[in-house]
Amino acid sequence: MRDDPIANVLDDLLKLDDILACMVARCNMISVMPNNDSFDPSVNQVWDIIKRAMDDVFGVIREYSQAGLGEMEFRLQDFETLFYIFPDTENALVAIVPALANKGLIEVEMENARREILSIMEESEKQEAITA
Amino acid sequence: MFYWKGCQIGTINDNFEVALGMSRKWDAREAGREVARDVIQKLKRPPSFFLLFSTIHYEKHGGFEEFLAGVWDVLPKGTPLIGGTVAGFQNNYGCYCHGATALAVYNPHIDVAVGVGYNTKRSPKKAAFSCLKQIKDGLDHSSYSQKCIIDIISGGLVPQMLGIGRKKVLRGMTSVLALYLSSLSLYLLQKGIGREEDVLQVISDKMNDFYILHGSSMDDGKAFSNFQFCNYEVGSNMAVALGFACDAHISLFSTHNLKESVSLPRVKIIRNGVGIRKINNKPALKEFLRILNWPEEYFDEQLFKRTYFYPIGFKKNNQWISRVIAIICGNVMITTNKLEGDEFAVLSFNGKDVLQGVTDTISKHGIERPAFGLISSCAARLQALGIQSFQVHHELYSYFQDHPFILFYSGGEGSKKPHEELYYGNESFHSLVVS
Repeated sequence: MRDDPIANVLDDLLKLDDILACMVARCNMISVMPNNDSFDPSVNQVWDIIKRAMDDVFGVIREYSQAGLGEMEFRLQDFETLFYIFPDTENALVAIVPALANKGLIEVEMENARREILSIMEESEKQEAITA
Repeated sequence: MFYWKGCQIGTINDNFEVALGMSRKWDAREAGREVARDVIQKLKRPPSFFLLFSTIHYEKHGGFEEFLAGVWDVLPKGTPLIGGTVAGFQNNYGCYCHGATALAVYNPHIDVAVGVGYNTKRSPKKAAFSCLKQIKDGLDHSSYSQKCIIDIISGGLVPQMLGIGRKKVLRGMTSVLALYLSSLSLYLLQKGIGREEDVLQVISDKMNDFYILHGSSMDDGKAFSNFQFCNYEVGSNMAVALGFACDAHISLFSTHNLKESVSLPRVKIIRNGVGIRKINNKPALKEFLRILNWPEEYFDEQLFKRTYFYPIGFKKNNQWISRVIAIICGNVMITTNKLEGDEFAVLSFNGKDVLQGVTDTISKHGIERPAFGLISSCAARLQALGIQSFQVHHELYSYFQDHPFILFYSGGEGSKKPHEELYYGNESFHSLVVS
């Protein structure tokens, strides 16, 4: 396992059956991928169109994140893409799940992952402030 | 933010020492060890009993035998233990749909007994009597005044039928075949409806002076498998129960906060009671869709996304009891558990009412320093509320603070107060507080 703690959080999320892909991303950029870089093969067929749709959604996130936008999602073909936005930023935890997934349970674990990533980011900023 | 590692959650008062533990590891053995270690290191004395809840994930990450073996690597031998798989859980640390949590209780003035019954789907009453005998043998001579049973019973499993697979919506000839095969599946393979209420009714009738808190064991909502734990044993289609007697104060309050939405007239139930075949003398599904003004396409494999919010209710003792529509077989709507009585309606599930119900119910306990709390809540509430489940956690934590509690999300819940009738339902919330 690489040393990136955020990638470790994504690895844990990817172990859930219904999480086909997950990443930390912003518009036109994937900031952090899970360590093993491998998404469910079913996502590969639709990845290009989902990625384009994601970038359009990030445009909305950029506009409204500061106003308190928390989550967004869209359904495309047999998949749903969930965005859990990091407050006051243009970044989000993104996951792709099957359209038939039991979303309630996934939402809880997405929220736990968001909280954990936020706490890692805050800790990292504190360390940087100390060393600066 | 509720920190887990390094945060001690436990209660010590004159009567009780209680500790809460959790693991979010993926490896079954490691998770078992961690959840037990997290509890034991907070207790000064060996526990009087141990309650263990886990999500289904360890089935594919080592298996539950390994999980329980990990627990016993740490837990003192002979500790009375029961538990089972649940869709998710809440505790003082947060809300989770993956991992394991445990509550250990020590009290110098307590009698404890554990019971197990087998083949709950094939012979629910036999399973109940077997389980009860062990509880009675252990507690009959107890001199303590307050008695309680916490039980976990295997919940329903969607049968997998040859050529049909595991489907929630069946049409045409496959639906006729499925209805016929479902009875065979239940008795031969023990896959089908849970029949938990049949087990519970026996327990309730025979232990009339007990508090009872029940949860139906389940997986992550797929209804493919579920497991129960009793001491060193892991299995399925089991009823496991832990009875204790002490002089503590016990309080129990329940709610569902569902509202009657629209009446269902002249309902005809199917023979085994677990479904509706006619409404208004017309085929049930067609008439149900007409009454709600829903298109037929609404009932597809995403069934639960609709039916969680519109459960079927029947009136019993002047209160609505709810059931979730779980499978559609042609025009027959199969529910999660039995329907009774003459008065039926569609109930509505509204997130705001549900949250208010939690606040109102918890506040009824009125206990300033609880020793611990246990809550059985329907997994449908978790599915429906999703991320808003964290608001439920906020309410619970506001009440319990650092006094340990576990809310476990089950596939059917029930409770009973001494000398009162059993309540068994779906989409409900039952809270037990001991102090």
